[in-house]
Amino acid sequence: MTARPLRLPALAAVLACGGCGTPWQSALHPGGAQAGGLLDLITIFTAVCGIVWLLVMIVTLLTLRRRRAGIEAPLPRDEGTERRPRRAVQAAVATTVVIIAGLTLLSFFVTRGLTADDPQALVVRVRAYQWWWEFTYQDPRPDQAFTVANEIHVPVGRPVRFLLEAPDVIHSFWVPSLAGKQDLIPGRSNEITLVADQPGVYRGQCAQFCGLQHAHMAFLVIAEPPDRFAAWQVAQRQPAPEPATDEASVGRRIFLARQCAACHTIQGTTASGTLGPDLTHVASRRYIAAGLLPTTRGSLAAWTADPQTLKPGNNMPMVPLGSDELSAVSAYLTSLR
Amino acid sequence: MTRRLLILAGLLALAACKREQREVRLDPPALDALDQVALMPNGIGGAPPDVLPALGRPYETNAYQLSQGKRLYGWFNCTGCHANGGGNVGPALMEGWWRYGPDVQSIFASIRDGRPHGMPAFKDKLTTEQIWQLAGYVQTIGTYAAKTAAPTRNDEMQSRPSESRGPAGADIAPPSR
Amino acid sequence: MVVLTPFPHALFALDLSRPGAPVKWRFVPEADGGAEGLACCDTINAGPVIADGKVYFNSLDGHTIALDVATGTMVWNVRTASLDRGETLTGAPLIADGKIFIGNSGDDFGARGWIAALDAQSGHELWRRFSTGPDDNVGIGPGFQPFYAHDHGQNLGAASWPPSGWQHGGGSVSGTILFDPVLHLLFHGTGHPAPWNPDQHDGDNKWTSGLFARDPEDGMAKWFDQIDPHDLFALGSAEPGLAIDRDWHGAARHLLIHPDPDGYVYVLDRANGQVLSAAPFTTVNATRGVDLATGELRRDSNRASRFGTMTRDVCPGWPGATAAHSAPSADGRLLFIPVSRLCMDMEARNVSYIEGTAFVGANVRAKSPADGLRGALVAWDIEAAKPVWTVPEPFPLAGGVLALGGVVFYGTLDGWFKAVDAESGRTLWQFHAASGIIGDPIAYRGPDGRPYVAVLAGLGGSFGMVAKSSIDKRDATAANGLANALQDLPEPSDPSGTLYAFGLP
Repeated sequence: MTARPLRLPALAAVLACGGCGTPWQSALHPGGAQAGGLLDLITIFTAVCGIVWLLVMIVTLLTLRRRRAGIEAPLPRDEGTERRPRRAVQAAVATTVVIIAGLTLLSFFVTRGLTADDPQALVVRVRAYQWWWEFTYQDPRPDQAFTVANEIHVPVGRPVRFLLEAPDVIHSFWVPSLAGKQDLIPGRSNEITLVADQPGVYRGQCAQFCGLQHAHMAFLVIAEPPDRFAAWQVAQRQPAPEPATDEASVGRRIFLARQCAACHTIQGTTASGTLGPDLTHVASRRYIAAGLLPTTRGSLAAWTADPQTLKPGNNMPMVPLGSDELSAVSAYLTSLR
Repeated sequence: MTRRLLILAGLLALAACKREQREVRLDPPALDALDQVALMPNGIGGAPPDVLPALGRPYETNAYQLSQGKRLYGWFNCTGCHANGGGNVGPALMEGWWRYGPDVQSIFASIRDGRPHGMPAFKDKLTTEQIWQLAGYVQTIGTYAAKTAAPTRNDEMQSRPSESRGPAGADIAPPSR
Repeated sequence: MVVLTPFPHALFALDLSRPGAPVKWRFVPEADGGAEGLACCDTINAGPVIADGKVYFNSLDGHTIALDVATGTMVWNVRTASLDRGETLTGAPLIADGKIFIGNSGDDFGARGWIAALDAQSGHELWRRFSTGPDDNVGIGPGFQPFYAHDHGQNLGAASWPPSGWQHGGGSVSGTILFDPVLHLLFHGTGHPAPWNPDQHDGDNKWTSGLFARDPEDGMAKWFDQIDPHDLFALGSAEPGLAIDRDWHGAARHLLIHPDPDGYVYVLDRANGQVLSAAPFTTVNATRGVDLATGELRRDSNRASRFGTMTRDVCPGWPGATAAHSAPSADGRLLFIPVSRLCMDMEARNVSYIEGTAFVGANVRAKSPADGLRGALVAWDIEAAKPVWTVPEPFPLAGGVLALGGVVFYGTLDGWFKAVDAESGRTLWQFHAASGIIGDPIAYRGPDGRPYVAVLAGLGGSFGMVAKSSIDKRDATAANGLANALQDLPEPSDPSGTLYAFGLP
């Protein structure tokens, strides 16, 4: 066989495998009831509208074919022939009205489920900043509340209610595999409720243009069985672990003495800035900088050294650190699990 | 043919339009150089770093830098002591009367090193670039001359005429003491 | 007579036995100028106290100083407050029981509030109790018996805050400290939680914005009543009010009459902390009364300040419906309350704690009421819980009140020192001073046996700051928003303070 004929089957195979493995950010692969409902809506809408479109196209083509040269225009008016097209138009209008009303009602009932009030719900307050996400898990006891950034864990099967606030510009909270979009609007409180049906990692991102780095404002929703989630909650409530190595100790000293502590919080230390993400357990998260880089010592160092090259225009300044200082700080940050 | 030439001329003319450059990242040597402000022995007034005019004095003339300064003004609690320029614990910044000099390097020194009578030093809380952005913005609040660049209007409570309606010095009376 | 000037302080002793009251001695302590950057409400001081041949005062930069009153030589000088933590001292010390009791200021700078006792002879610190934090810091022990159920619990001073929020929680003890020799208790108030943005201090925020009763020997708390849990408007309850023993609905009781910045006069039984009555003495729309059964303040959720939005026309506005000392009538029937009728617009914003800077997180704009009368002197019938008469004033009353022999003396921000009749409120006499009056008038009997009333005129303080030359009134949020409502405050005609003494017939 020559190479040429192989190209087409190879291409077809690649395309087919494009669907292999469940994507983590896809409205077509729902992981929860809300996304499931929305997918049903998408399917029904697409099907109904597809059929309508097909019918309209068929009728258009037929009428185009039926047109013959030589017929005088305008056609003479004849009650007998007029009645059929008139009936057809009336029927089409009535069908359209019924279809649209039906789709509207369907849409209403499905999207109503997005903000259902459930007393069992876990409540998370979401604040979207340019260009990162802050999540605060609420608790009836205020000292049991805790704050994380850019990655949240949710228990499988339990509704999670997100209270959406935005301090600067309009953002939008969108985890396609779990729910639809809900905007975060300055001066306004919105809400969205979602339930994850099976454990997994779901990626979300900001869905409303919010500035230079809107494209790099992703977050992860990790659905876990309730016992794993409870363990994670307990771990997140703990203050930052003490540095185990000398280098990490030096790193903590530098962190607290320099500009870092003015913007970031590390529970258990004197760093209590609320301008940037909470770093108490930064190394326990899979990505840093809102989904930009996987969390490794190298990426933490790169981000600390030069955030503007990695994410130009974002609000973290370039803090001047010598190479030893950078090494120490990245060692400390990596120890914050 | 004439029409084509006209269209071409039009396109060429538009090609000269350039949006304002946003410098989001200064090279580290430039950042170091920006920290070298030569101050008078009494800390009031001095010479700006040489690199500042070389960069085009962005902190006084670039709207993006001024907007960043405005953001930092709220972020780092300047409003707690200076309100929105009117003063509270600290003196007003909008009346055009500068205790330590009206030039941007004096304001930079005030923010970086602090001043007697309670202005804290922000050297370890802000980077040099951020202090310059703040200094440029603070100068805009109380400027004597109209500027071509201004930050955006407040997203927060609007408490005084916007910076773009400067100068503040339009009707200042000389200070009584 | 001993007079203390604002920071940087100078203490003058005037010899009243000589004509013209010349200066007998003068004392100027060393002053750390950095304290001026930590003075939320101007560099004022509540004044010196004289006892046992010594004069004691607090300096803004955190020192408590004792001088010999005859010669002005220093006996001891102790550093009691730390500027690094945002603490300053603005209150007057209390001398009782051989001890000096002092409390700090610094709510607006994220300082934790505390009250401390020093030995009057040596200045050594005997104990210090905080307004936030774990029980052992606060002085909550087995002897603590709060009257209301919501004040019971373990380590509420940390548990009713977000994680580590109590460490910069506020609750300063900047008002008067009262000593009751009958019950052998100390009474004091605590200021508002920090920061102003209520979003950043979720929870009830014990033990801020409330009233404490403590044992003067070791500072352990006997009871606590939280006037304003989760204070939304940074009003606080730092000024405890007056301890009065009188009849209450037929029975003799030990009362604490507390006019609060939230606009209510609270009458408490100071033996156990029960609130006997709470009635508004001015227009209030942020709250809808106090439930006496549970001690809860009922809020109007429409007027709650919320993150990122503007709440308009909240009454009473900062610094509260009353921000100065009230005085009782001689028979204990009436309370004369200096009132501010300002309301405010407030917008809560995120704020980071940065040492040395204001930890506020709110944009505030004060507003005058519709009738333009921003202040009033209210004569309040304590038992009937209603006003008897009201003298409206164009400016909020920032100075204290002195009630003496059927006459009530008070000073106004535009410099009028007035005497009104205690029964009717009719103006009997007034005098125009060189500058606005924010101090308390005092009465004394001179060496010649005549009664005198003296007052220190000098514009400043929270309200008077607006007229300072360093404030630009074109910004509505200047001086914590008061610039918006006090645009017409007259500048003082003489920059420095003036002491006036009037002989009474």
